[in-house]
Amino acid sequence: MGETPRRMRIKFSVPSDPRYLPVVRGAVGALSATIGWDESECRAIVLAVDEALANVIRHAYHNRTDGLMELECRQIADGLEITLLDNGDAPDRSKICARELGCDQPGGLGTHIIKQVMDKVSYEESPEGNRFVAVKQLRKTT
Amino acid sequence: MKISVRDVGTAKVVDVDGEVDLGTSPDLRRTLFEALPTVGKLALNLAAIRYIDSSGIATLIEVLKRSQQLKKEFVLFGLSPAVQDVFRLTHVIRVFQVFQTEGEALGAS
Repeated sequence: MGETPRRMRIKFSVPSDPRYLPVVRGAVGALSATIGWDESECRAIVLAVDEALANVIRHAYHNRTDGLMELECRQIADGLEITLLDNGDAPDRSKICARELGCDQPGGLGTHIIKQVMDKVSYEESPEGNRFVAVKQLRKTT
Repeated sequence: MKISVRDVGTAKVVDVDGEVDLGTSPDLRRTLFEALPTVGKLALNLAAIRYIDSSGIATLIEVLKRSQQLKKEFVLFGLSPAVQDVFRLTHVIRVFQVFQTEGEALGAS
């Protein structure tokens, strides 16, 4: 009677070490499948989350492995919300850009993938650190 | 991730099994960069790759550009569904020579 349905939520505290990325990928893939995406869409969501973590490792922590990344994956009414916090260097907004499609330059691929896969993406600096939030809707209402 | 290199005629084939990500792509890059100058054609077998991220795609682009500088051929074959998805997302498939089978990859000139 008017109760909010219980939904899944997974939280990770992960060192900024690429060795832990497969652990997160496994969990995000399973969560996405449970929410209802097909295999190909699950792979895309896993890739987008992995790219966000890799961006933090590379750009916020400059490949140091002793930083902390806090990832929350939350099932919402119409899909999945990803929140990623870190305490590394703040992103240079002028350099957060997706690459041009189809070109043969490697830079900016990760950001391009995230924007292609997720429906909403935002970056902000907060008292807790750098915050990246992305939402993927289960069914797009276009 | 497991990487192995074998000689097939005058070409080299690199087989990769596993996941290519930020942690493992430097190993793939090293192997491909070492093998490239030693042959006329280098073929990368992507059939057993279960995951590849942008660092893996960037590695392939780097190797392709190096192959063009050295006037070598760098070709891909056996794209797994996981790889196909990422190639589609990043729109890089038209940048590479891609074949279905090893025979086709090695037969093309």
